[in-house]
Amino acid sequence: MKTEEVKKLMIRSLDAEVSPHEIADQLENAGVSYDFSEGFGDKVIRKIFSVSLSVNHEVEFVRSMNYVFNRIALTGIAAIVILMISIFLMEGSFSLNSILGLGNSYDESIICMLTGK
Amino acid sequence: MESYKQTDDNELIKASINGDKLAFGEIVDRYRKLVARIVKGMLGDSVFSEDIGQEVFIKLYYSLPDFRGEAKLSTYIQKIAVNLTLNEIKRRKRFFSMFSQKGNSEMYEFEVADVDNQEKREATETVNRALMSLEPKFRIIVSMRMLQGYSTKETAEILGLPLGTILSRLSRAREQLKNVIEKF
Repeated sequence: MKTEEVKKLMIRSLDAEVSPHEIADQLENAGVSYDFSEGFGDKVIRKIFSVSLSVNHEVEFVRSMNYVFNRIALTGIAAIVILMISIFLMEGSFSLNSILGLGNSYDESIICMLTGK
Repeated sequence: MESYKQTDDNELIKASINGDKLAFGEIVDRYRKLVARIVKGMLGDSVFSEDIGQEVFIKLYYSLPDFRGEAKLSTYIQKIAVNLTLNEIKRRKRFFSMFSQKGNSEMYEFEVADVDNQEKREATETVNRALMSLEPKFRIIVSMRMLQGYSTKETAEILGLPLGTILSRLSRAREQLKNVIEKF
């Protein structure tokens, strides 16, 4: 189809009484067609699924960090409880001195320990 | 390997939501020309249109769980394509207004290298040039009617605009198109 005919067709396509579908078909037959390049679909799929993969890795990392933190936190709490019980059994109270391990020490003995005299 | 050529859109959507690459690939194959007509009709036939086309399908993939099936998948895709294309036009306008004094028509590239036949190439170029000379608000209506064959009512539905607005824009677009076409 010549350029002049294409121009006329374009103007005619906007007339209210003309079927737009018909004009669109005629333009397509005249070679007015649009498509993306070859491999377009593959590019889209690659983009979507590589993004999902990296997001999945991130989620996996956060999940394993949570798991490790929980294990460490639980072990820590258990150690603190055992320490408190042993302090209570050995010192018979929960005073600051007993917690700090100063229950049986006097000022003089500390000075002896530090100065070696 | 499973083929989805005969599968209907709803099944493809379900499979795609479950991460089936082949199913989504079939959706892309089915609607790529539709998206190309909107994006290239609005932005011209350039490498940027290809990027916007990819963005349309990426956005579609992530919004599939929200798709309730009240409208046809093609309508849903077209809405995404129209919105992304209009955003791109706004973005370009802002960019060019900051760095250049050139007119709108110089913002677009024409690459119709894929068309081998000279006459067909000229036909596509003529349509592209005419479309690019129109204001974006007219261009979208003209391209939907001229390239995709949508009626005024269908265009109003897809764009979410009142029928009266479409009709008045169509009549103004016709005048603008006539003036533009006479010049080349």
